[in-house]
Amino acid sequence: MLTNNNTNCAAALAGLQNVLDPEIGLNIVDLGLVYKIDFDEPEKKVYCTMTLTTQFCPMGESITWAVMESLKTSFPGYEIVLELTFDPPWGHGMITERGRKFLNER
Amino acid sequence: MFITASSDTGITNTTSWKVVLPFYGYAAVAFLVATILLLLSVNDIAKHYIHPHALAVTHIMALGWGTMIILGASHQLVPVLIEEKLYSNQLATASFILAASGIPLLAYGFYVSDMGWPAKWGGRFVILAIIAYLLNLGGSMAKSKRKNVHAVFIFTAAVWLLVTASVGLMLVYNFTYPLLPQSSLAYLSLHAHLGIVGWFLLLVTGVGSRLIPMFLISKYNNTRRLWWIYGLINIGLLSFIFIYLFVNERALLMFPLLAVATAIALFGNFCYKSYRQRIRNKVDEQILVSLLSVLMMLLPIIFLLVIIGLLTLSPEENTRLVISYGFIIFFGWITAMILGMTFKTLPFIVWNKVYHYLAGKGKTPNPKDLFSATVFKWMGAAYISGFILFTTGVLLQLSVFLQLSVVLLLITSFLYTWNVLKLLMHKPRI
Repeated sequence: MLTNNNTNCAAALAGLQNVLDPEIGLNIVDLGLVYKIDFDEPEKKVYCTMTLTTQFCPMGESITWAVMESLKTSFPGYEIVLELTFDPPWGHGMITERGRKFLNER
Repeated sequence: MFITASSDTGITNTTSWKVVLPFYGYAAVAFLVATILLLLSVNDIAKHYIHPHALAVTHIMALGWGTMIILGASHQLVPVLIEEKLYSNQLATASFILAASGIPLLAYGFYVSDMGWPAKWGGRFVILAIIAYLLNLGGSMAKSKRKNVHAVFIFTAAVWLLVTASVGLMLVYNFTYPLLPQSSLAYLSLHAHLGIVGWFLLLVTGVGSRLIPMFLISKYNNTRRLWWIYGLINIGLLSFIFIYLFVNERALLMFPLLAVATAIALFGNFCYKSYRQRIRNKVDEQILVSLLSVLMMLLPIIFLLVIIGLLTLSPEENTRLVISYGFIIFFGWITAMILGMTFKTLPFIVWNKVYHYLAGKGKTPNPKDLFSATVFKWMGAAYISGFILFTTGVLLQLSVFLQLSVVLLLITSFLYTWNVLKLLMHKPRI
């Protein structure tokens, strides 16, 4: 996870842990969907770069909506800028150890 | 793609629920109607598959149930597969309206054994619905930069569906105007297998090979094998058409059967490997039922082997085997697949519709909580018992088994419809 502010990033991730992929039941952080969270303190902006499991994921709109809501709650008064990227595309290797444990990888 | 708080999320790539849900609702009603008609006519249907009521039930199952739900789901899934928006929601709606009008007319024509205007207009409407679907698929694929094997499966399957329906309409006309050298009944097997293999099998293997690994979160992928499956199914079907129309040698039918059986075995192995290499350990009941339907693909192959084997020995057709064969396909394989996949896809469509703007604002229920798991289990139990009893009843001509089985199948369709309605009428719980 890339960031220019570790303290704020931890707070953002704590909120994003509550955003679940409804099909898998795993949060988007452990699923490896969040690539980068940067902060522009003087401008009061949060830049979040994330992906989806597939580009036309039917749940994509709901997930990105929930990410925006979560970041707005974690950082009131900040403008949230969400960048959706598919470069690199999501893959199984991006699931965290905790995520794999959740999914009970054998 | 950038999204800011002042804008909507901007990801409106998915097909609107307004387009998709009517197909699901219609299919549930068709399944219910088919089981009611089966209950009313079980003694006639168990005696001969060319009985008007058997033809009506078969077409309600093939078009109203199997095809309608596949059309609905594929309008949702095609954008995921080709990574491009659906070309036109209007064409999708037109496809629904045309099919929804045509299917009852066609089924009514069969039921009352009248190949007059209702059957003919029914057939025409169904063909127009398929053309609208094909145009939508073609338009979506033309826009897509990414060509993949799954999309090729779906498009080819839709072409075979158009061929099947066109042959079907020709057979309807042939009852009143002599268009073909022989009576329509002589071409029934051709018409049926164009639909079963060309449409259902090709589509199920194409979509299943994407969905099953996706839902299992499997590491397994083998595009080369999928192309082999695609080739074998199409070669099998084309050789079947050629042998059926131009070579009067029934033993040769073993060749297309072998090609299709190999494709099914390869697909079964593909699903097994996906299952073995899954990251997600727990497999839910909906996926298990869908995997069961993959196993059920083997049953018709075994029946067909026996039917063709017997036909080479004697020209007399074994009616009981043929009825069981048809039942295993429409009430077995196709129904098992739909029973499983409906509750794997529909809850997400409904969840997106109801909780889209509520996500992140509080605890939302999981999509799987939007339908009753208990009713799903009872439905599964009624279905498996009904399926086994009916097949045994036909093969052994046991009337008690048949009577009991149709009641169980009616219970299955009732419980299915109840759960679908529960989903469709879900109100937000937040």
